[in-house]
Order: sequence, then C-alpha cells, then structure tokens
Amino acid sequence: MPTIRLDNLVKRYGNVEVLHGIELEMAENEFTVLVGPSGCGKSTTLRMIAGLEDVSDGEIYVDNKPVSHLEPKERDLAMVFQDYALYPHMNVAQNISFALRLARRPKSEINAKVKEVAEMVGLTDFLGRKPGALSGGQRQRVAMARALAKDSGIFLFDEPLSNLDAKLRGQMRAELALMSQRVQKNMIYVTHDQIEAMTLADRIVVMHGGYIQQQGTPEELFKRPVNKFVAGFMGMPPMNFLDGALEERAGEMWVTGDGFDLRLSGEIAAKAKAHSSREVTLGIRPSDLNFAEDADPATALTLDVQVSEYIGAQSVLLCKCGPAQVMVEVNSETPVALGQTLTFAVNQRGVHLFDRTSENAL
Amino acid sequence: MSTPNSRANLAFYAVIALLVFMSVGPVLLMFINSFKLDVDIISGTSGLIFMPTIQNYEQALCDVLWYEPEHLDFCSLKFGGAFINSLIIALISTALTLVIGCMAAYALVRFRFMGRDTVSLSTLMVRMVPPAVLLVPVFGLWNNEFCLDRDGLIGGAIRDTFGGRGDVCLAGTHSGIILIYVAMNLPFVIWILQSFIVQVPRSLEEAARVDGAGPFQVFFKVVLPLIKPGLAAAAIFTFRIAWNEYLLASALSDRDTRTVPILIVNNMSEFNVEWGVIMATGMLLAIPPIIFTLLASRQIITGMTAGAVKG
Repeated sequence: MPTIRLDNLVKRYGNVEVLHGIELEMAENEFTVLVGPSGCGKSTTLRMIAGLEDVSDGEIYVDNKPVSHLEPKERDLAMVFQDYALYPHMNVAQNISFALRLARRPKSEINAKVKEVAEMVGLTDFLGRKPGALSGGQRQRVAMARALAKDSGIFLFDEPLSNLDAKLRGQMRAELALMSQRVQKNMIYVTHDQIEAMTLADRIVVMHGGYIQQQGTPEELFKRPVNKFVAGFMGMPPMNFLDGALEERAGEMWVTGDGFDLRLSGEIAAKAKAHSSREVTLGIRPSDLNFAEDADPATALTLDVQVSEYIGAQSVLLCKCGPAQVMVEVNSETPVALGQTLTFAVNQRGVHLFDRTSENAL
Repeated sequence: MSTPNSRANLAFYAVIALLVFMSVGPVLLMFINSFKLDVDIISGTSGLIFMPTIQNYEQALCDVLWYEPEHLDFCSLKFGGAFINSLIIALISTALTLVIGCMAAYALVRFRFMGRDTVSLSTLMVRMVPPAVLLVPVFGLWNNEFCLDRDGLIGGAIRDTFGGRGDVCLAGTHSGIILIYVAMNLPFVIWILQSFIVQVPRSLEEAARVDGAGPFQVFFKVVLPLIKPGLAAAAIFTFRIAWNEYLLASALSDRDTRTVPILIVNNMSEFNVEWGVIMATGMLLAIPPIIFTLLASRQIITGMTAGAVKG
C-alpha cells in the first residue's frame, strides 16, 4: 500500500537531539524492521511516523504527501503497542471494533469484520472476555486483531513480542510472518531483537545513537556489514573482534595481532592492500571458524578452549586468543576437551576488517 | 482450633465489638430516642422501657404528611422543602464538582503548560483554608457584589417571575450555596482524581488516538470509564460534605433555600430543645447519604485497569 519516506527527520527534546536527520524510504507492501539497542531512536522514529511524537525538523511523506502536521487518526495507520494497550473496560470484540465504531461504520460491517479478524488470529472463542481474563499471548493477539480490523495501509509494531516468554515469542513470530504474507500492507516493525529482525524483515534498518547505520536485506546486513557496530549487532552468537595490524610480506597481505597471524586472500586482501591505515580490527563470526587439526597455520587460529556451552546440535566454545575472547560455533559431536589448545580454520569469505579509528568496514 | 488461636480470636472479637459499639452506639441511641417523647428522653430513667411513638416523625414530616397529626395544632417545620433543597444543592454541587474536577485533574496530569506544578500545588493549598474563613468574605460578596440590578434586563425578568424586593443577589439562592460548595470540594476532588488518572497507562490513550479518537473521545471513552472508582469515591466524599454542611448554608440560605441541617438546629430555642424531633429529623437526614454511598460504592472496584498493559 502506501510508500513512506522520511526526509531528514530530526527529533529534539529541549536541547538534546536524539535523532539526527533520518533518511529512509519504505516501498509498498514492504516489511521494514527498525532494529538497534535501546535508546537508539527506533521507537521514537516509529512514534513520529504514528504521530504520537512531534517532528522537530524534516518531514514524513506518505505517498508523497507530507503528513507530519496531521493527527494520528488522520494518517491511515494502525499500531500494535509493546504493552498491548488494550482497553480494559471493553471485551475483546469491543476492543477490536473500537476504531470501526469511532468511524461510525454500519453495525453489520463491524460485526463481519470482528468475526473475520478474530478468526484470523484465533480469538473467536474469546470475543466476550475482558482483557484481564486473557493470557499474555491472547492479549497480544487481541492487540494484533485490533490493528488488523482497522484496515489501514500502514501497520506499525512497537516491540510487540518483547513481553512474551521465549516459546510464545517464537510461535507469534511465525504467525506474524505468515500474517505479513497474507495481508498486503506496508509494515514497520521496531525491535531490539536481531533474530526477530532477521526472520521477519524484507529490509532491516539498523540504528544506533540516533543515526541509521545500515539498511538492506537481512542477508546483506549479515554478510556485508558496513561497520563494526552492525557486524557486532547482527548475528548470534556475535562476531568476534580481534585488534591487529596489516602487514605486507612477499606480496601477500597478513593481519597480525596478539595470538594470531592470518594470511588474507581474495577480495578482502585487495581491500586491505588499498587501505591507507594499518591499524585494523579483524572480525570473524563464530560460524566461520571450523575445527580442523591439520589446517594450514597461515589461514587458521590457534585457540585455548575455556568453556563449552552445549546448546543441542551446536556447541559454543569460549576460547582465548591472546588477551581477547573468541567464540566458536562447532558441531557438538566435535571431540573437544576444556583446556585444550586447538586449531580452527578460518573461512576466508567470512573475514571482515574494520578500520580501528573510524570502525568502518574496509 | 487450638487454644492460643481461640484466645487471640477472643481479643480480636473484643476489639471489633468495641469498634462496632463506638460507631453504631450513637446512631442506635438516636434511633431509639427518635421514638420517645421528650419527657422520656430527658428523664433518662426508663432506658429501654418506653412506649414507642411516631409523634416525633409526624411532627418532623408534618408538611409532607397527607393527614394532620392530632397532637399538632401548627406545622412549623418545613422538612419536605428543606429536604428538596438539600437534595438539589448536594446533587448539583456533587455533579458540578465531578465534571469540573475530572477535567481539571486530567489536564493537570496529562498536559504540559506553564505553571502546571504551581496550579497543582495551590489547589491543595486552597483546601487547607477552613470553610469558616471563607464565610465572611463570601457572605459580603454574595449579598452586595454578585447582584443583578433589579432594573436590568435579566435581573428584572427574574424579579418579575419570582417576586421580591431589591436587587437579585446570589445570597439566599441555591446557586449561591452550590457555588461555594463546588469551590470548597473541588481541590480535594482534583487531588484524588489526579492519582487515579496517573494510573491510566499512557499507551491506552495513544492507542485510542491511533484508533481514531479525538481528545474528547479519548477522555470520555477511555479515561473516564477507567477512573470510575475514583469518581465514585470523590462523589461520596463530595455528597457527604455538601449534605451535612451547616455553617456556610446557615449564613447563605434564606427561608426558602434552607437545608435539613439548618432545620434541625432551628428546633433548639432559648427555652426548649425538642430532642425527639431533632432525633427524628437526624434519622431522616441520614438516609439519603446512606443510599447514595451504597449506590456509588458499587462502582468502586479494584483492578479496573487489569489486563490493559503488561504489568
């Protein structure tokens, strides 16, 4: 449905600027996820789109029409709140139909819509109950149903799953993904959970400190993070960072640091060669380290295994590499004993280098 | 049940019995005495042994009874009129106080404006002023300042309709008493409702705004239903004060706008205190607040906002 464009959006509280010129375009029917640590401005951005926060500077365009001066009700959007925000004095059916009743739609239409939406989220048996008599997951469904019933073009989610327990969260996440395929709307979803972002998004926007760090498909963000923050934020367990220096030996690029000496090859070697500064941070995801006894020492890390976290099919090894800690994801069948010093081959395509001062990717 | 437990229970019941006696005793005494003749009351010897009579009630209600009591040759008390005056004044002032109070409290809690904290604090300060202090200036104002000229358009019209001499003043009217009661009760009501409104999650109001509600719809459809317990508590409080108030009403009412408490005191004269009638009128006076409280307290349900947001 409508396209949304944020043009140099700024938010100030008094003298404190919390959003510094956000530029963002969301195409029709796109599922955009704003993700970042708490306090990064993602919720503020969403609330500005909703009209619950004033815009200090810049403009929000919906279908190329400026909307920042409009009241929330004039913006054709529905919102699911983090804490559900159900009307406790109304039963489920009344909660769902509140927006329709305010709009004075005919009764038959309201009833049909309530029935349809309740069926969609599986609440048909609970329409007569008050929110107080529902479980957390059911309340979340009511909140979702209420937004769905409004039939607006834009759908906003403000950390809708953060109050649910882990199992329910996974289940609701799957239902949400299913729903987003079924209802063709422009959805904007705010979360601090990068797994939610990865699983749901067509496009992820990573925010930090009031700036957009990077935006792109989940794959782009995972494979080609533009800076150290995005690299560390996306992916679980998080990327390992090792401080080192670039060296050129016999025409080959090496990155050397306390406890490692790694030869670079391919694309990343070319980038390293072209880079002016020698001070870099090496980034390797835990999944890009493979246990291999006979690996070439030039393309491997030698690590002291300290702790092994068994999580089923996989184990996460916490290892020491010089002073730094390195996490390795291995098959839990791998014979590993604590205190051993082992060799792990580095997947060359999974090597990331970041400038030490600017923290941008090479 | 074990022994120490039942001993603790005994003390427990003793305390309860004492409390019940202290609170119900005077009412019971009034109830019994209202069925006695003055001689029986004053003699004090007979205690519970007396011939019950409804003479006191007949005398108190003489202007609303459909028959003429034999023992009375002149109906001096106008209980019916006073009762209606009391009802009008108490109900209207309660309604006005609640309407103004909940809006003021909402504004103080939710809107940001200059001097908000000062207003919030000073409303409570006003409450600290004893009503007696208000009496003198208000009496002067109501009698001399807040008047409509009898030759003026509105004043003249009122004078023509209701008769009387002189200018049309606030003193002696229902409005005059209602106004001062509203002013007197408003600070407390604002204060008590503020604490209820604070508990309404802000995201509920935001959800309503996104759902398409304007500011007034947010207030009336979402906030107001949720602070119903607060409104009920405030209503009970306000009604009780307005119903029982004596000092201001005695100064600001005239013969036609007299309330029941004033009527009761009028039974005391220099030469004679008609205890029986006072007791009977007192019993009658107690009924409306009891009914009002029973009705209003049904609205006081805890956990109104349960399930609104994740706790």
